[in-house]
Amino acid sequence: MSGTARLSDLALQIGSARWAMVRTHFGIQAFGVNAWVADEAGGQLIGEHDELGQAAGHHEELYFVSEGHATFTVDGDEIDAPAGTFVFVRDPAAKRSAVARQDATAVVVVGGKPGEAFTPSPWERNAPALADFGAGDYDKAAEAFEQLLAETPDDAGVLYNLACAESLSGKRAEALGHLKRSLELDPDFRATAEKDSDFDAIRDEPEFVSAVAGQPDASGSSA
Amino acid sequence: MSEKAYEVAHIDDLDRFPVDDEGLLWRPVRRRLGITTFGTNAYTAERGDERVVEEHYERDGAEELYFVAGGRATFTLGDEEIDAPAGTFIYAEPGTKRAAIASEPKTTIVAFGARPGVPHEISGWEEIFVAFGHLRNGNEEEGRRAIARAVAERPDAWQGHFNAACFESLTGNRAATFDHLRRAIELDPKAAEFAQKDSDFDWLRDDPEFPA
Repeated sequence: MSGTARLSDLALQIGSARWAMVRTHFGIQAFGVNAWVADEAGGQLIGEHDELGQAAGHHEELYFVSEGHATFTVDGDEIDAPAGTFVFVRDPAAKRSAVARQDATAVVVVGGKPGEAFTPSPWERNAPALADFGAGDYDKAAEAFEQLLAETPDDAGVLYNLACAESLSGKRAEALGHLKRSLELDPDFRATAEKDSDFDAIRDEPEFVSAVAGQPDASGSSA
Repeated sequence: MSEKAYEVAHIDDLDRFPVDDEGLLWRPVRRRLGITTFGTNAYTAERGDERVVEEHYERDGAEELYFVAGGRATFTLGDEEIDAPAGTFIYAEPGTKRAAIASEPKTTIVAFGARPGVPHEISGWEEIFVAFGHLRNGNEEEGRRAIARAVAERPDAWQGHFNAACFESLTGNRAATFDHLRRAIELDPKAAEFAQKDSDFDWLRDDPEFPA
């Protein structure tokens, strides 16, 4: 349905950045669109990714810095991106990421898969659960992630997010089990987990240390 | 267009094509960066009281998302009037009336659009906007090249020939105007109705050979 919304009103806290789920908010079907806000300089705006992974949409992506100042890294090249900069990443294989250089930096991201009608990226299935997560209702978020996991038991992203919600709601054993399985399925998440403050409650557990290091767990437990 | 993995452009470095005589500037983004999956353009109102989105409906089924990137605008969305400061998204479903007037100088809107359920097709009007933009900027030669590309890309679309007729009329070419106008009417008789009302043809309207 036609409508309006302020970027600042849509943005929900997800890790160090705030995520505005613009496409799902309006129900847009023709292209993907989200926005990310980093409240503080140095905050990660766009986590390093390419568009080839299991959860990715194989999209070409247009990033527009609408406020503040960011530094993008695409294919190893560093790009200075003050407000008003468009960065268009054509190649789905190119690794891209962005960090805020100023407080209150915002980036609008629009994407689609060349030559095909738009379909939402698999990772967007997380959106309703992430909304609960962003609102601080970690139990409800964990329930929603569990439902997604029942549909796709080997989705490393869902497992990772479930582990975050469980860690934050004090379910340490469940969090460790799901995180371990996520990192086995997608070792790229190891570096993210190492720095992710959602895991502060379980960071000192031997199972966390071995999972992040990619070492076999001596206890032999699994999720 | 090179096949580099990425392209970068700052909004201030985009082309500036006047869309009308009131100060509205079209700043092509999709075209500049080589985006293929959705339309993207920026519009800037320099003075701050002029139209920054023309009233239209997107009856061909395109969804449109507008983002106020700078300044402030008053949007019309259906029957509603919306104050939209920088940082506002406005989503318009196909068929909904949408328009916007700037309420601050240097108001810039970025528009994204595509049709759901089908691969994106680049809009034919882009090249036509380029042609008339060059003409308004005093570069008839570049404008002529763009209008020729628009006609060549869609030789059987009446709109290309109609706009080519407007271009030829505005640049004083009677015979070429009539050729394109005849072809446009042949392709779709409603081109004649548009021609009767279009002031671009005023100096030729009383010509006995005027086709409309």
